[in-house]
Amino acid sequence: MASDKDPKDPYLERIRQLKPGQLESALASFKRLLDHKTVANLQSCVNCGLCADSCHYFLVTGETEAIPAYKLKLVTSVFRKLLSLLGGLARGSEGDGALDSQMVEKWIDSLYGRCTLCGRCTLNCTMGINITRLIRIARTTLASIDLVPPGLQSTVTTAVEKGNNMGIPREEWLDTLQWLSEELQMEVGDHKAHLPVDKPGTKLLYTVNPREPKFFPLSLLATAKIFYAASESWTVSSDYYDVTNYGLYSGDDGAAGLLSSRLRESMVELGAKTLILGECGHGYNSNRWEAPEWLVAEDKFQVKSIIQIIFDYIRQGHIKLDPSRIQKRVTLHDPCNLVRLGGIIEEQRFILRNAVTDFVEMSPNREKNYCCGGGGGQLSMTRYAKRRLETGRIKADQIRKTGAKIVVTPCHNCIDQLSELNREYDLKVEIKTVSEVVADALVIEKKEK
Amino acid sequence: MSHLDVSGKKLMLNEEGFLIDPNQWDRQVAEVLAKAAEGIDKLTPEHWAVIEFIRNYYLETNLAPMVRSICKTTGLPLRRIYELFPAGPAKGACKIAGLPKPDGCV
Repeated sequence: MASDKDPKDPYLERIRQLKPGQLESALASFKRLLDHKTVANLQSCVNCGLCADSCHYFLVTGETEAIPAYKLKLVTSVFRKLLSLLGGLARGSEGDGALDSQMVEKWIDSLYGRCTLCGRCTLNCTMGINITRLIRIARTTLASIDLVPPGLQSTVTTAVEKGNNMGIPREEWLDTLQWLSEELQMEVGDHKAHLPVDKPGTKLLYTVNPREPKFFPLSLLATAKIFYAASESWTVSSDYYDVTNYGLYSGDDGAAGLLSSRLRESMVELGAKTLILGECGHGYNSNRWEAPEWLVAEDKFQVKSIIQIIFDYIRQGHIKLDPSRIQKRVTLHDPCNLVRLGGIIEEQRFILRNAVTDFVEMSPNREKNYCCGGGGGQLSMTRYAKRRLETGRIKADQIRKTGAKIVVTPCHNCIDQLSELNREYDLKVEIKTVSEVVADALVIEKKEK
Repeated sequence: MSHLDVSGKKLMLNEEGFLIDPNQWDRQVAEVLAKAAEGIDKLTPEHWAVIEFIRNYYLETNLAPMVRSICKTTGLPLRRIYELFPAGPAKGACKIAGLPKPDGCV
């Protein structure tokens, strides 16, 4: 990367001028993260190398730095050095694993710059090592000395300081909701239809990716239309409605916990029964699975994906779909955080089989699917943008082989990357959320007034 | 980092083609960015209405406007915005208006 060699890059300057005290502090943070599971994982790699072919970075570039075992070794070498300092108990404790500025630079380049935390290497590890988690621990270590790459850090900071990751002011969010209510009324022909805000005691509290109200509101309108058709009791919060959590990617557990706690605050304040996570892969993983650990507290309410809700609507006959309206071939991209790491696998397939005429799988799929290349915070880390588009080639090839004209994915992060891949690789496809496709197929029955 | 030369002025761009120094922007720069980002040869009055609004909003607030405000001010329907800027409001319109890349999933 040209920028990585740029002598004026202030981020690289900060790495190269790290003071011994900062490095000691990083090492102390790393040490605090070493629970017994992590220690076992750090000592289990047998260097079989079978993880190499599981990583889209390695498959495209063939670079050693992209092999998951190499990335893991960067972390284990620091661990072994640390153990040798503590008394030399670990095998192979010799070797150079000092956490100095050169090592930090290698960590950043491989662990932030060549990894989407997609979890595919973990799935394919012959020793069952959770490589993804170990890489995130290294990111947490780097975050502890403020070395998260700039675009990723500013997305976390904006979310923490402004209440959502795009810094949308409250009145603009409300104005957009009002506008979408008017659009919804026109679409369904019912002047009572609207997007409820801060309505107390509803069944569902819905959360969205801020890029929907900011730039792509049709996906939010589509979900509102589905809720309308199902006569759902739902609301959004005027304050905390952001389903994303870039703390998962930056490694900053404090920020991650704070962001997840805000959605829980909204739940308590509005007295909703179920927290519904919009179409966002990492938002699902963060708020469904990771948040109870970050917050060291169990949720007293259910946390579900909107995909599970739409699945129930169809299965229980709450909405009616006409699949003949969508004749073009449709394929599905599985977001890593929702599917491989989140466990929502069959619901979106059931939905598509009911909403479109010609649904085909890409290969491989489900938990074996390849990352689109945009996860792990890559979309926000401009310095690695060329790698992101390059490694997206695997996804582009997968899509092309299906012959599909519409690619559906329940994740706005994936949508953005897929849209770029669409242009970069000239795929000539439409990219849609699940809600958008369902809304297109929706048969709205006239409501009793 | 790469650069573009616009009538003797050297414009530094980040890896995604966003202007590094938003102060370097002018209408001629917009034309060049439009060609690079969207393959648009000639910006139409509709393009300019969107670009100028985004630019002025950014100078006042240091933020990119909501697509709602873009539609309201220019009078253009939402779907027309996506037609004018196929790379989207962020990677198309805001980039051409010389804004830095917005935070978030864009």
